[in-house]
Amino acid sequence: MKQNGCMTSEFTFLCPLAHGIHARPASHLANLANRFAATCVLTNLRTGAVADGKSVLSIIAAGVGLHDECRIHLRGADEQVACEALQRFIETDLPGCDAPLLELADGHHSQRLPHALQGAGLKAHFGTPVGRGVGQGRVVVIGGVSLPPELNDQPSAQPEWEQARATSAMTAISARIQKKLTGHLPPLEKALLQAHLAILGDIQMRDKLAELILQGRSAGQAVIEAGTYFSNLLQQSGSSYIGERALDVQDICFDLLEEIYGVQVQATPQLHGPSVIVTGSLRPQQLLALDRKRMQALVLEAAGTTSHAMILARSLGIPAVVGIKDAVRSFRTGEEVIVDANRGFALPGGAAPVRRFYEHEENMMRRRQASLARYAMAPAVTSDGHRIEVGANVSSTAELGPAFENGADGIGLYRTEMLFAVRDHAPSEEEQFTAYVQAVQAAGGKPVILRTVDIGGDKPVAYLELPAEENPFLGYRGVRIYAEHPKLIRTQMRAMLRASAFGRVQMMAPMVSSVGEVRWMRAQLGAIREELTAANIAFDASMPLGIMIEVPSAGFLIGPLCREADFFSLGTNDLLQYFFAADRTHAKVSGLASGRNPGFLAFLKQIVEGAHRHGKWVGMCGEMAADLVNLPLLIGLGLDEISVSGSEIPVIKERIAGLSFAHCQELLAQAMASQDATECEALLRQPNPGGADRASVSLLERELIVLDSQSASKEEAVREIVSMFFVQGRTQDADLMEEAIWARESVYSTGLGYGFAIPHCKTDSVSSNAIGILKLQQPVEWGSLDGEPVRMVVLLAARESDTNGLHLQVFSRLARNLMEEEFRERLMRAERPEEVVEYLRRELEIPE
Amino acid sequence: MKIVAVTACPTGIAHTYMAAARLEKMAKELGHEIKVETQGAMGIENALSESDIRQADAVIFAVDIKVEGRERFKNAQIIEAPLQEAIKNPRGLFERIPGR
Repeated sequence: MKQNGCMTSEFTFLCPLAHGIHARPASHLANLANRFAATCVLTNLRTGAVADGKSVLSIIAAGVGLHDECRIHLRGADEQVACEALQRFIETDLPGCDAPLLELADGHHSQRLPHALQGAGLKAHFGTPVGRGVGQGRVVVIGGVSLPPELNDQPSAQPEWEQARATSAMTAISARIQKKLTGHLPPLEKALLQAHLAILGDIQMRDKLAELILQGRSAGQAVIEAGTYFSNLLQQSGSSYIGERALDVQDICFDLLEEIYGVQVQATPQLHGPSVIVTGSLRPQQLLALDRKRMQALVLEAAGTTSHAMILARSLGIPAVVGIKDAVRSFRTGEEVIVDANRGFALPGGAAPVRRFYEHEENMMRRRQASLARYAMAPAVTSDGHRIEVGANVSSTAELGPAFENGADGIGLYRTEMLFAVRDHAPSEEEQFTAYVQAVQAAGGKPVILRTVDIGGDKPVAYLELPAEENPFLGYRGVRIYAEHPKLIRTQMRAMLRASAFGRVQMMAPMVSSVGEVRWMRAQLGAIREELTAANIAFDASMPLGIMIEVPSAGFLIGPLCREADFFSLGTNDLLQYFFAADRTHAKVSGLASGRNPGFLAFLKQIVEGAHRHGKWVGMCGEMAADLVNLPLLIGLGLDEISVSGSEIPVIKERIAGLSFAHCQELLAQAMASQDATECEALLRQPNPGGADRASVSLLERELIVLDSQSASKEEAVREIVSMFFVQGRTQDADLMEEAIWARESVYSTGLGYGFAIPHCKTDSVSSNAIGILKLQQPVEWGSLDGEPVRMVVLLAARESDTNGLHLQVFSRLARNLMEEEFRERLMRAERPEEVVEYLRRELEIPE
Repeated sequence: MKIVAVTACPTGIAHTYMAAARLEKMAKELGHEIKVETQGAMGIENALSESDIRQADAVIFAVDIKVEGRERFKNAQIIEAPLQEAIKNPRGLFERIPGR
């Protein structure tokens, strides 16, 4: 043992982990070892296996089990520091490395089939949904590393020759990566290449290959087997970090195979007809190579929802469910499968109940869309006549069409960063001009707010060569970088100004924190106007210049800013984290930055009032605007506009129609007087906060009454009522509401006799208390007290957290009245829903 | 006869009140005097006072859940049945009252 004073650069320990040093602890160990220059060798003294302590693969392959004695040996300039650090890690942290992984964050997915699909003996595979929607098709399984059969059958040559092929392929690929690394690369790509290089150079990988070749495998077969061996090892850890390394190993193996055989081995399967892709994991290139018209859905064994392939799938609108264990083995090629990304499962699609369920759901969605369309295409106006614009946030040309189809009153925020990202030079004036004109033309006379580029900090762009920062959110970004990059911003401003000749362009600057920054923007704008005038190029001389309010100082400078800026838009994402000094990506503090904190609401109120005093327009384009719960507060603030992603517009407009400006203002005042966000949230949970009519939000409405129902069973009748609620926006989660009704039904049937049933539920999945009524054309079995079938179904839906006495009194009067023959007969005789509404209003004393 | 009753069901939205209505109607039909306390989602309504209970000749519980304030009835003779009984066959409940 090498001694150095009281220090030592070597120590031994007993492995404390029940499952040995598997991938997770190995990665922690390797990460730490890699922070030091000293070499690190781990020896399993029980087996004699020696591992490079800086290589995850290598450590795992040393096969250290519980209570195995191990030695760690360090050599190099900083060996003593390294030794201390590693020893400390092994003593204090290693024992905890075996703790079970936390459940996925999306734990709220119930892992239950909707009621209508339960009991049909269906084998559903649950996972985590990515994106939304339902896709159906025949299974196409994409396997792991596989050689075309003609190559696989090749007999191997002499081991020396096969080894030479493998070695030269590895050398060639290493050299290729090295060369790439000398160029200018985004940090992410660089890290990836370095990881690939590390795997290629991993002694364990090389040994495994040599061993397999000596056993008589061809170079290609050895690569496949070694690749499978290591990626299995890595995937067994269950950690997403290690899982990603497995993808890297596979990537390298593909490269090696292609290098060895000089052919493409990653064959893209041909899709014939609607297909569901089932695979272990998916790389972006693989996804893009597939026929997008025929690919209906994706099922992955890998659990990550934020891999590049999944981000892509989401944006392409391909429904996917990930993290389904053993998917590849569970689904047969050619089998008909339904992938439900709304709920997070995949199940066989052939059975009749499944078909009926999804047909019904499609129909329900269509009716919901039709119901929403009435609001989407009209201006958003509260019941007392207060109007507010609802705009769309977009970041690409492709989103414009859908935004306006969803009823956008304008583009409240066009993020131009996409034009600047993922490329090696800034976009030209012409390229930008084309994009902006497309936006203006799609808007057809409605306003388009183009935000000048917000890069730097957390949104780096390689060609600007901005230095990496310790604290990018508080750093050199947005308007702050403009003065040093005059060409960049002037080109963009010119393109925007020219586009203003074609429609209503408004220019908006990000990250403004002082009046000087806006003056600077004005000065640039003035100079560009003169240039364009001199060159005889058309533009709108009155194009407004506004700013984002996302830095608190700007919020306190509204008066002076009003002299320079024409309008304001509240960027609440950054504003919140700066206001509360709480990183929105930090799980432990992000909760502090609540838009429902009374202090923040007061801050917003003084901004809106300040701007309005000067006759200036104020919108909100942050995520706070998209949360429906906040809507009454936003209306109460008197904002001129809220801007959200296009698909959310119809629901927001529907909701606004049911609010009262006066009540929302009162609610905001109460919220501002509350003590904290929790108290404010309690206010928002009251029945119908800010609603037009607080006493009786149409407990009863014509749209929730059907007197000629075709439902042929109890199940169908319940689904029909739940659908009515969904279509009317009375529930956002039809599955939960249905589940609640059946939960009550399972206590004992609500069939009360005389052909009547009175199902009910107490659940916050309904947005307000309501009564739903069905008269069935043919009586259905309900398990009633008198054994007779049911012809009339009266559903009472109450919110769990709503203790509105008035509504419950109505419910109890209704229940009592149902015991009266005359009351039942009147209901049964009614021919039109209006008649029912009128009769019940009178009999049950429901206020108009 | 003077009768007091308590009705209570799991959700407290509907059946509590239907049972109360049935018991009141049947009592009237049989010529009894009745007061029914409902224990539902709105809490206790038409609460039975100490003297109500003291003066009663019989107590009927038509309940699916625990009765609140059961100690009030500690000396009374209680006819207890699932709530459904009160809806299906209220007469049967009254017939279970022992004759004087």
